[in-house]
Amino acid sequence: MKPANQIMKQVLRSGIGVLTAIVVVGGATISFAQESVSVRATLMTGGVPVDDPSAAVWTSAPPATFPMSPQVHWQNRIQEVTVKDVIVRALHDGKQMAVLVEYADPTQDPDDAAALEFMVGDKKAHFAHGQPMLQVEGGPVNIWFWKNKTGKAVDMNAKGFGTLKAQEHQDVKAKGIYSNGTWKVVFSRDLSTGHAEEDVQIAPGQFISIAFAVWDGRKDGAGDLVEKGSQKAVSSWWYFRADAPPDYSGYMYAAIAAALALGFQFVLIRKLKKGQSA
Amino acid sequence: MGALGKPIILMVGMYAFLKFVLPNIPGSAPLPSSLIFLYLLLTASGIVIFETLSGESKDAFWGPIQRFLTGENIGGLQALRYGVFILFPLLVGWQTYGSTAVSDLPPTESRTIHPAPPGEYTGLSNPVPKTPENIMQGKGFYAAYCSPCHGGNFDGKGPAARGYIPAPANFADPTTIAMLQESYLFWRIKKGGVGLPIEGAPWKSAMPRWEVELPDEWIWKIIMGEYDGAHQSPRTWE
Repeated sequence: MKPANQIMKQVLRSGIGVLTAIVVVGGATISFAQESVSVRATLMTGGVPVDDPSAAVWTSAPPATFPMSPQVHWQNRIQEVTVKDVIVRALHDGKQMAVLVEYADPTQDPDDAAALEFMVGDKKAHFAHGQPMLQVEGGPVNIWFWKNKTGKAVDMNAKGFGTLKAQEHQDVKAKGIYSNGTWKVVFSRDLSTGHAEEDVQIAPGQFISIAFAVWDGRKDGAGDLVEKGSQKAVSSWWYFRADAPPDYSGYMYAAIAAALALGFQFVLIRKLKKGQSA
Repeated sequence: MGALGKPIILMVGMYAFLKFVLPNIPGSAPLPSSLIFLYLLLTASGIVIFETLSGESKDAFWGPIQRFLTGENIGGLQALRYGVFILFPLLVGWQTYGSTAVSDLPPTESRTIHPAPPGEYTGLSNPVPKTPENIMQGKGFYAAYCSPCHGGNFDGKGPAARGYIPAPANFADPTTIAMLQESYLFWRIKKGGVGLPIEGAPWKSAMPRWEVELPDEWIWKIIMGEYDGAHQSPRTWE
């Protein structure tokens, strides 16, 4: 028989291997934020820059890029659009939220426009204007529409193409600035409004659905708008989440668990030592 | 090799097998870490039961563990013993933190890619004769109405496809139209993204509801053109 010391060395060498394996297995379950599928509204203190698309504080919000397609679902479609991607950032202060949409557009036109789309309440909605589903009852969508010409936002609802209607309660603000071939448009609103039937309600920490639309207001040779109405650039549904206030309870639970493990060790060794001497 | 060496080699071997060998066996897939953990737990329980069957094997198994834990006559391993005592609570704390932390991942979407069609569509056969003229006409309609998204090469890579998730179906892929019947395509083309049932959620399919724009005969011809252009055949029951 080998000396105990040598056995223990072997045991420990392999033991460390097992321990490493456990850490690798456990580590694989730790998740990372996927910025490419969701917009994260960073929690900030002080006023949200609702009127300032170029405020320095925007750099503290992580950008998310979403690809755009020409709208094809509805028959009044288009096969090519100017805007290929939108870069989106968001901020909130626990009361107000602001979404900054940024995209390349070679020319500034009066009819340049952009919009955000959200589902309302718990009912799912088709991304194309909340177009009614044939087999299932879907819900309406809340659309925040900004147009360069008017310089402001309209808070609207739709349940399918051709049903778009401005709300009685206008809660959304928007401000766009154009420079160096890039539009930066800020949409802002309170996180919650008193009209849960019409407006998206944003609860920090919860994922909600968001989609984007952009119209390049350029005109063709005959002086007609190329992109208008349902002829626009659209995105699919993506996720939006306003950061929840920091929660430190995880550290507390970890400390309690570590203390329990430590106590367990003490009790175990005491028992073993007692057993040996007995 | 002591009574403790073999079990440890067995555990490591089991882990390596589950993690690296099993996924590479044809027809298999990588195991989720929770399943690997469960298998390792079962292996460990088996070992403990086996090693404690007789008094002798029990002593040979527990002896080294006990000696290490109590620190009796382990000489130079004393430092490692303290290391384990510090590391273990930290590991428990870290795992607890990891399991209570709020996930940054959006909700998982379990979309059924090919949900069952409504009853009236099952078993329909293409009423249009499969002639070269009809196939050619179908390809023409395809080029006009479908290719902007599904691509001129039937590969789902049309110029309008980039923003759409799910991506337009790639008909050359053997897991799309090759495993479906013509009647299924007829349903999907006619009703589009809004015709999907609840299990087809989230409703992101941009597929138009072509029944409001195209006559049935054109749709049947498009189906023929699609199979021919993508070099696939419809699934049949024969």
